Amino acid sequence: MTTTQAISNLHEKFLKGEFAVTGECGPPRGADLSVMKTKGDMLRGWVDAVNVTDNQTAIVRMSSIAASKHLLDMGLEPVMQMVCRDRNRIAIQSDILGAYSMGIRNILCLSGDHQSFGSQPDALNVFDIDSMNLIRTVRDMRDSGKDMSGFDLKESPKMFIGAAANPFADPFEYRVLRLGKKIDAGVDFIQTQCIYNMPRFKEWMRLAGEEGLTEKVYIMGGVTPIKTVGMAKYMKNKVAGMDVPDEIINRVAGVAKEKQADEGMKICLETIEELKTIKGVSGVHIMAIEWEEKVKDIVQGAGLRK
Amino acid sequence: MENTTKAKITLFHCINAFTEKKSLSTDRVDVKIIKMPCSGMVTEVFLLKAFEAGADAVSIFVCPEGACRYTEGNIRAGKRMAKTRSVLDEIGVGGKRLTMHQVKPAEGANAEQIIAGILEELKALGPNPAA
Amino acid sequence: MIVGHQKPIEEIKKMVKPYNKLLILGCGTCVKTCFAGGEDETAALASALRMAFKMDGVAMEINEQTVERQCENEFIQEAAKKIGENDAVLSLACGAGVQAMAKRFPKAPIYPGLNTTFMGIQESHGVFTEECLGCGNCGLGIFGAICPITRCSKKLLNGPCGGSQNGICEVDPSIECGWQQIIDRLKALGQLDNLRTYIPPKNWKTSHSGGPRKLVREDHII
Repeated sequence: MTTTQAISNLHEKFLKGEFAVTGECGPPRGADLSVMKTKGDMLRGWVDAVNVTDNQTAIVRMSSIAASKHLLDMGLEPVMQMVCRDRNRIAIQSDILGAYSMGIRNILCLSGDHQSFGSQPDALNVFDIDSMNLIRTVRDMRDSGKDMSGFDLKESPKMFIGAAANPFADPFEYRVLRLGKKIDAGVDFIQTQCIYNMPRFKEWMRLAGEEGLTEKVYIMGGVTPIKTVGMAKYMKNKVAGMDVPDEIINRVAGVAKEKQADEGMKICLETIEELKTIKGVSGVHIMAIEWEEKVKDIVQGAGLRK
Repeated sequence: MENTTKAKITLFHCINAFTEKKSLSTDRVDVKIIKMPCSGMVTEVFLLKAFEAGADAVSIFVCPEGACRYTEGNIRAGKRMAKTRSVLDEIGVGGKRLTMHQVKPAEGANAEQIIAGILEELKALGPNPAA
Repeated sequence: MIVGHQKPIEEIKKMVKPYNKLLILGCGTCVKTCFAGGEDETAALASALRMAFKMDGVAMEINEQTVERQCENEFIQEAAKKIGENDAVLSLACGAGVQAMAKRFPKAPIYPGLNTTFMGIQESHGVFTEECLGCGNCGLGIFGAICPITRCSKKLLNGPCGGSQNGICEVDPSIECGWQQIIDRLKALGQLDNLRTYIPPKNWKTSHSGGPRKLVREDHII
């Protein structure tokens, strides 16, 4: 961590050593703000910051920057996600300047889902720089006050820099090395892929700890409450980079259909409970996709807020 | 395709699979025979040119599975037939006019049955539209 | 080699329909090796087109020739006579060959018979894979001679994304994760530490991003 003065509320939370909570809000597929207002109302007061996805799964939605600004106006702190799929380095730096000028202070640097998953697979992708390059770009803009050309920026953007990590993707032995690279590149906090395979997550944390990485970055464990056994199976089989062990699926499948969501909640709360005890875990990132009303229950249930 | 015109069939065959002991041509059909050292030597060009030259149907006689002297000639012939069929479908000649049959040297009578079967098929398919 | 595959016959027919005499010109190097535009494919396409036009009631004379390489003037020259005798040329070369023909024969209408797909290799008989994007600044040395720009669907330079599972790319089960291959190979070579190094943003100036490229070799120009 290069900065000790809090850049954002989320940063402050970490600095105080409190267990941080972030949520997620997907911008609408249209220009209507009412959905964002509804989601914002559900999340306000229960999370420290809200991730705003950037055309997630390569489906066109309201821009992450604009939606982040709307959340800010609604009294929520956004974590603006930014992917390398749709913009070259010129647009990326320009958008970071614009976002900062509007009061956005957290950024999550991602490669981005491939466009072949989205509604417009015919699109040309960019990937001019990768997420590692993006992290370093934001860090350099903040710490050296220069853009990628070395030009001294008038008022440089001071972002609290996040990145994703997936302890469940392959090759496993490289995952810790990659985390190390992200830390070297300048990342301040990490949000992980949804954790269902706790032993594997712990192993990843252990290896990261051995390399001294967990002391250099705030790690937030990702959780997603399971709604139905169908959803669990879908995540297991269809979502790349997801690891949902059979015991989790069997546990949800083992209860009556109308009880499956409750069981999913239980698993989610148990996961958070465990995360709280793992050395080096600084918070939880709750991805209750299209189930934002549950965030309050999760946060309360986990005893993170009253 | 009725008996008003004589059907034309071009038959590519592996010499190990079949020997024409007596002519397969009859008053209903002209069978043009092309001998090959192995059915694997059949190519897309040969098959297409046979149709271009007026064949209503083209057939390849290959050795039974596992019996190819060159191990995989009959498998190759099958692959090329499939590719050529798709071209024939694409241009509107019709892939069904091209067939492949596994025969054994001793089965001379079987060849006549195969030709009869092709003639039966041709009743529905009609003459080669590109002839 | 340059890998290509033949366009659908229907698309080819539409392009060449206005002409009475058509030369199908094959190319005997790369596209021959990938079974798309060599002598055999030229003959097969000519035969198929003759039948197709005949069925449409279109009278078209279709001629064939294959030269060694359509991307080099000395070989192109061999086709000059036949090009002069025909109304148009359907080139079965890669995009470079088609354009080389157009440069050499300004008055002849030249049409592409292939879709040029990529620069690659024949991994096994009948299987071709893309291996190089021609970025103009080769970095294979640090990646164990496996190109992340080409072999990773996201051109990532600093390691695999979160979508790599069991060696397979998230984009399609038929795509092997290029990064898994890089890591496996570097591990085998004892060079995995190469990957600890941060790779800075790629300089794309040497790629097509810098505009169409030209290489001038003064030592070969008289």
